[in-house]
Amino acid sequence: MLSILLLLAIEQVPDPVVDTSRTQQLDPVVVTATRTERQVGSLPMPVTLIGQRQIRQSGSLRLNDILREQTGLAIVNDHGQGLQVQGFGPDYTLILVDGEPLVGRTAGTLELSRLTVGNIRQIEVVKGPSSSLYGSEALAGVVNIITANPAEGMRGSLSGRYGANQTSDLTTDVSLRSGKTGLYLFGNRYQSGGYDLSPETPGTTVSPFLNYTASGRLTTSFGPRLKLGISGRFFTEQQDNSLATVDQRLVSGTGRVRDYSINPVLTQQLTDTWKLTYRYYHTGYSTTTKLAYQDTQAPYDDSYFRQNFDRVEIVTERTFRNRHYLTLGAGYIGEGVEATRYPGRQQFSTRYGLAQFEWQPSTRLTFIAGGRFDAHSQYASQFSPKLSARYELNQTLAIRASAGVGFKAPDFRQLYLNFDNAVAGYSVFGTQEVGAGIARLQQQGQIAEILIDPGRFGAIRAESSVAVNLGAVLDLRKAYDIPVRISANLFRNDIRDLIETQVVARKTNGQNVFSYTNLSRVYTQGIELDGSYRIELGGSQLTVSSGYQLLEAKDKAVVSSIRNGDVFRRNPETLLTERVNLSDYGGLLNRSRHMANVKLFYELTKSGVSASLRGIYRSRYGLADRNGNLILDEASEYIQGYTTWHLTAAKTIKKITLQVGVDNLTGYTDPSFIPTLAGRLWYASLRWDWATTKSKSN
Amino acid sequence: MKTTYPVLLLAAAMSLLLACNDDDTATNPVLPVQAQTVTNLPADPTTPSSTTGQPPLSTGKYTLFNLRDNKTVANTDSASTKWDIGFRGTSIIVNGGPIRSGQGGAYVHTGTFDELTTLPTSATFAQDQSPSSLAIPAVSGAGWYNYNSSTNLVTPIPGRVLVIRTGDNKYAKVEILSYYENAPAAPTSANRSRFYTFRYLYQPDGSMKLN
Repeated sequence: MLSILLLLAIEQVPDPVVDTSRTQQLDPVVVTATRTERQVGSLPMPVTLIGQRQIRQSGSLRLNDILREQTGLAIVNDHGQGLQVQGFGPDYTLILVDGEPLVGRTAGTLELSRLTVGNIRQIEVVKGPSSSLYGSEALAGVVNIITANPAEGMRGSLSGRYGANQTSDLTTDVSLRSGKTGLYLFGNRYQSGGYDLSPETPGTTVSPFLNYTASGRLTTSFGPRLKLGISGRFFTEQQDNSLATVDQRLVSGTGRVRDYSINPVLTQQLTDTWKLTYRYYHTGYSTTTKLAYQDTQAPYDDSYFRQNFDRVEIVTERTFRNRHYLTLGAGYIGEGVEATRYPGRQQFSTRYGLAQFEWQPSTRLTFIAGGRFDAHSQYASQFSPKLSARYELNQTLAIRASAGVGFKAPDFRQLYLNFDNAVAGYSVFGTQEVGAGIARLQQQGQIAEILIDPGRFGAIRAESSVAVNLGAVLDLRKAYDIPVRISANLFRNDIRDLIETQVVARKTNGQNVFSYTNLSRVYTQGIELDGSYRIELGGSQLTVSSGYQLLEAKDKAVVSSIRNGDVFRRNPETLLTERVNLSDYGGLLNRSRHMANVKLFYELTKSGVSASLRGIYRSRYGLADRNGNLILDEASEYIQGYTTWHLTAAKTIKKITLQVGVDNLTGYTDPSFIPTLAGRLWYASLRWDWATTKSKSN
Repeated sequence: MKTTYPVLLLAAAMSLLLACNDDDTATNPVLPVQAQTVTNLPADPTTPSSTTGQPPLSTGKYTLFNLRDNKTVANTDSASTKWDIGFRGTSIIVNGGPIRSGQGGAYVHTGTFDELTTLPTSATFAQDQSPSSLAIPAVSGAGWYNYNSSTNLVTPIPGRVLVIRTGDNKYAKVEILSYYENAPAAPTSANRSRFYTFRYLYQPDGSMKLN
């Protein structure tokens, strides 16, 4: 399987993008990599572009559905479905909507299924650190979701979908434009009955939920040089939970999630070569959970979490001689959080400045140098430089290289958490709370022994990484008129000061008190291959694309301990101890060494027929230690690898499109270890596109 | 050459010495000491009391063990040198220190049980200073075990050998194999805990040779 995918990856490659046959010679434009509009093929760093057409053909509903099919991206499940990029956990990838960050992470994971794909124009994924432009969290990469803009005339759509697990989706949008003013409105209702992969145990695997999304954008211009755009978003979800506790008592109740944002952007074109952008962004995120034991109605969990984020930013862009670009920006971020598990209301602020210069000494050579300085109210300032270059050897082959620094600030949880687990008996304190927390427990006589001076925890540093990406792109379209595109990217990330939990003290009940500290140094490295090939046969076209990522992610301290012969494991059968070899070490948990995909998109334009078949493979990945040495080194510590296949077929008659599809064709499940993988899911959808004026419809 | 004579003399002396050693072992055979395995030694196990919902009860007493005789010692003899090590929950005590009667001590060696054949003369033995400061730290990750708070399991750290000096100045090495009753290969929280399975080797001649 893997070798076939590899062959595909190497032999033929396309870019499975957005564009239709009409625009296939034009490289689509992205904004995330440089914060300026650039053709995706001209950038000196690895960028993946997912267009609306691909999203629709794939039958995706939520952001995780489409991201899991992209080369080098994995959806991992840890307090929600998050994104793994270049071997980094979900905490290390910044998720933006129209350039503004989404907030509301649970234990570091931003739940990707919060986002519907219905209003997305395109998704841009930049791999490698982008802290030089975006600051904290942009360590592994950035995902920027670009939402739809008001189009010419008046048009809209209405679509409905129903599928297995009583899952339904209703989406509508309308776009108006008259003169200088345009309006885009979008609404979505998404509901699922959930599912239960292990009916023999009480509780459900995924409980029923219902959510609504509304978003919109108003654009207008005041004269030829001043434009205003105001975007907004509102999301609310309710889930009816039902779960079993460790002692098999049934717990039920509701959980609510809400987020909203408002984002006015004023663009001032001072001259043809000088642009100013003023942005303001406000967003809020909140959750409330009310769970009670079903038998006694005693509360099990009654908690809330509220976060807000405000940002003002001014960016100026100057163009020199039509090919050199200077970007300068400055901004202020204010953040606050209030939660059951935090004492009082906690606030952060960040002031930052950024600069980037794009220099093109010749048409074949581009250099981009940039950097950002973040001064934070709670931890040491960060400087994040980045340098990248691209050289076009000829029309067919281009090479690119980039090196940069990324960082992730300690989050609210790591600074302010104040949590006693009443059931298990342990306590966790953020670094700013651990002193007071230990003192309180001591007063209550709960501390048996202090192992590390709590005073040492105050000075926590941001996690940071130095990364290098080296790549080449082979494009046979221009020189040979062969629709093949192959790209390769080698990456290496060296991360230091990873924040981990550390035992501070032992309680009299035998449990520990934890806090957070800068501990590990890890590295991730690998290679990513992507290829696409487009076959045109009369009125039909078939796009075959494939991707592969080889990944190694390891803890440097573990590697050196193994080298020193200090790591052992116990044979579970004989209980005897043996020494672990370096080749036994599987690296960090939850990382697959091999990931691959193969995608076929077929289109018969004349008769409005289209179909897709996508296969996604993930090799085995570590779940947990089982033989006592706390590292991944034995076959039984892995979750076995698997492939999922997804199929869609669609037919468009005039303005109506009927699509049917099956996700997870083979019905692969692993109830104990991959609860998010529901079995085989069928669905059917109907979509109606309307427009009152004639315009280029998709 | 001037050096020839001393070298020859040294060689002669050496061969004499070795010959003597040979004679010694021939006349005075030392049986190789054998490793022994102790299974299911209760270390103050709790009595489940699921009906009341109260924390399970235990006696709070250490199970004391004599390594030479491979048998437990009554807790009433705790103020004597009859015992060498004691077990209670995840705490392991030795018979030495201000709160003990013997001259014992211990340290945690990183390596395999079989490879530890001779103790270095530089070995330093810690003693039980107070109930919360034991020679063998009763702390997850720092002594002989790891505790996983999500699975609630105690796992002996592989490659940790407890080097023991007994109450009467003999040496032994101990490796904990399991903390659960009947030493299951993959324990779960359903298994009864506080049952030690360990192997040990006791050197009765007082030397630091442990094989």
